[in-house]
Amino acid sequence: MTTPLILCNLTAHYGATKVLDDLSLDVGAGELVSLLGASGCGKTTTLRLVAGFLQPTAGTIHLGETDLTRLQAHKRNIGLVFQNYALFPHLTVRDNVAFGLKQRGLAGAERTRKAGEMLDRVGLSALAERLPGALSGGQRQRVALARALVIEPPLLMFDEPLSNLDARLRVEMRVEIRELQRANRTTAIFVTHDQEEAFSISDRVAIMEAGRIRQFDRPETLYSRPANAFVARFVGFENLIPLTVTARDAGRISAEGEGGIDMTLSEEDLGPIPDQFILATRPDGLRVSNGDHGIPARLGLRTYVGRAYHYQAETPAGHLIASGTLGQPRDGGETVCLVAEPEQCCILDHEGAS
Amino acid sequence: MVHGLKGWMMAAPATALVVLCLVLPVSATIAATFYAGGGPFDLYAAFLSSGFRRTVLWRTLEISLITTVLSLVIGFLTAYVVSRAPPRWRSALIILAVFPLLTGVVVRSFAWLIILGRNGIMNNLLVWIGVDGAPFTMVYTQGSVIVAMVYLFVPLMILTIVGVLENIPDDVIEAAQSLGATPVQTFRQVIFPLAVPGLIVGSVLVFTGSFTSFATPQLLGGDQQMMMGTFLYQRAMVAFDWDGAVTVSAIMVAVTLAVVIGMTRIAKRLNPMTT
Amino acid sequence: MTDRLHPALIAFAVLVYFFLMGPLVIVIGAALSDTGYLTFPPQGLTLHWFERIFEMSAFRRTMVTSFQVATVSTCCALLIGIPTAYALNRYRVQLPGWLSTLFVLPVLIPEIVLGFSLLRSIQVGVGLPVVSTLIIGHTLLVLPYAVRVISASLASFDFSIEEAAVSLGSPPIKTFFTIVLPNVRAGVIAAFILAFITSINDVSISLFLTGPGISTLPIQILAHVEQFFDPVIASVSVLLMVLTVIVMAVVERTLGLTFLAK
Repeated sequence: MTTPLILCNLTAHYGATKVLDDLSLDVGAGELVSLLGASGCGKTTTLRLVAGFLQPTAGTIHLGETDLTRLQAHKRNIGLVFQNYALFPHLTVRDNVAFGLKQRGLAGAERTRKAGEMLDRVGLSALAERLPGALSGGQRQRVALARALVIEPPLLMFDEPLSNLDARLRVEMRVEIRELQRANRTTAIFVTHDQEEAFSISDRVAIMEAGRIRQFDRPETLYSRPANAFVARFVGFENLIPLTVTARDAGRISAEGEGGIDMTLSEEDLGPIPDQFILATRPDGLRVSNGDHGIPARLGLRTYVGRAYHYQAETPAGHLIASGTLGQPRDGGETVCLVAEPEQCCILDHEGAS
Repeated sequence: MVHGLKGWMMAAPATALVVLCLVLPVSATIAATFYAGGGPFDLYAAFLSSGFRRTVLWRTLEISLITTVLSLVIGFLTAYVVSRAPPRWRSALIILAVFPLLTGVVVRSFAWLIILGRNGIMNNLLVWIGVDGAPFTMVYTQGSVIVAMVYLFVPLMILTIVGVLENIPDDVIEAAQSLGATPVQTFRQVIFPLAVPGLIVGSVLVFTGSFTSFATPQLLGGDQQMMMGTFLYQRAMVAFDWDGAVTVSAIMVAVTLAVVIGMTRIAKRLNPMTT
Repeated sequence: MTDRLHPALIAFAVLVYFFLMGPLVIVIGAALSDTGYLTFPPQGLTLHWFERIFEMSAFRRTMVTSFQVATVSTCCALLIGIPTAYALNRYRVQLPGWLSTLFVLPVLIPEIVLGFSLLRSIQVGVGLPVVSTLIIGHTLLVLPYAVRVISASLASFDFSIEEAAVSLGSPPIKTFFTIVLPNVRAGVIAAFILAFITSINDVSISLFLTGPGISTLPIQILAHVEQFFDPVIASVSVLLMVLTVIVMAVVERTLGLTFLAK
């Protein structure tokens, strides 16, 4: 059961508003891909297009050799797990799981056997005769999962399936989902707004904004080498500092910015650096130093974040967040210089700034 | 306790009104059936021994039941279309169903008198196109009462069932589709079973409404098609037979309460959303 | 949901709506027809029958009575119903469960039985005047609307904002008027309108509580229809429909149309 999913130039509208803009995405066979973004970014729209609950205004959807684009929803054979589980309230747990098998014309005994096996796998055999109303959130989630898996679909899709669970259960369930998906080698789409969830569960993640994919990569790449400012901010590179190269010396780069910013960076740590670029750093990538080289800054509020202090800092490059060691707390109003720590920095093209 | 007292004080005037002017008078009416005759059940025995009264009771039950079934079928199919219509259409259709509901019973029954009466539109039309035997007697028949009653209650049924259908979450229906259920299968296996409790509630409203109606049987049934409501009025205000009137009242209350309590209990048991 | 409705189903629904609207259109036609009775095909148009309504003192009087009774009983029902709805929501735990059931009784007990019982016990038994009994009857009739509709609005009301107001120094009674009431405004308007319309249209209770001296419009219509069959009743019906339209327009303006469906 390993089939790739190919979305090609999908565009979709709600009334006159364009909610998906020329989106293309290749999901490899057996791969789990997350669609990650804030609400309204088009991730759920994409999922509903693939499920067949919405019609694209342009573009195609292929699952393996099959063209799904104009196929009716009930003929698509996709396992869907809904945000609110969408269990049938009038059917027992077993009948919920057997529902899809019944539509496929399986005989009663066979249905019961298969549903029973699947309930075993998700550990719910004891609750098979209950109605969904009598289950806890985590149990409902398992029923929803079993119901989608039992039809052995070539594609599984999850629409924020964990958002209604408490934090501990959420971590537990995502491991479970990943294990089941791996075991069946089923291609899967996972929609979420939770970065940690997406990064921990996925082979690749598509970060979406305003109906487009801004970057589609392995989580490790997204985390350390965002392709543009939007993704950089999304993964925590909160400081964006525009700089211009003034001198290159065997990988050692000197760069200047507005208002006397003067930095030394290494291409060995950060990869190739163009003449015009943006230095993106996480708060931990911008350290308060005693020297007079770096970004001149006036410190504001100090907050304690466990391993270090964070400082609100006013600089010629605008408002930045820097960090300082616990051993040397600074007071608001102090004037210092900020220097970059290469592990928590990355380089963006000037064009990618928007 | 202080809070409890505050609550009681705020609810006191309305509670007093309902107890003094509804519970007591209605209880007195029902109680009268047990002491007004010779023995405690003499009035009921007298009611049931009269062929005419048995006919009135039976006719009322029959008309109410037919009205309920017809309204249910018409209301359910229409409500299904309304609930699935595009949003703009849907609100227009709902308004069109609310309008007759807010227009009084007298007006709506009178409309059928204009249509079905001896000099009514229907007979005028039939005479005009030259149908043999026209004009016909259409009013003061069981059929005319049923048509007007169905007309009266279909909007109520539509609105009740639209409410029920809209309470079925979209994602449950989408889940059925994603699992391979065709529209017909989705309807039979998901939508209909989830709507049943609401259908029962709507049916109870229509049945009790028909069973206790007055204006419609009065205008379209007349003395020929007397129902419990018109019979109660006739006993109390025309014949001044208050023993008869209290008996009719008690039977109406008993039937109404039995239907409401029994059916809501069944509806509750069938409703998976509340368990 | 992407699947289309079956055309036969749509056609059926269209027919049902014709069935719902047709008779009302016919009443309007009858009210405007210039022949003394209703003919097919229709003859000329006239507003004569509307003038006739106001020439007939019985209609004029009962119209006024109906308006007065509806206004007074609706106001009474709201006056006692709003605090009741508040108490039932705010002090839910302290009050017994049967109390809220009590306010369902006016809906549960057949109106016509209530009307007869009021005649028997209050008018004849206690000897209250006709008008008072009529108003008591109508107040009982519409009280469930006040209690239930406003309860429904209060159910979604967050009582902690009331506590917030009190903690900021607002006295409890003032808080009720400045904080609670504005937030259930929609419920109060809806309750008023439903109650008023119900009272104006009521037959079954008024039936027993009116006499030769005092009557309501629907009762007068019934009495008139039994004796005469003329288009005056159609014109009165049209007036009542106009009232309904006005009410619906008011609801649309203040609450939005979705409110009507509830």
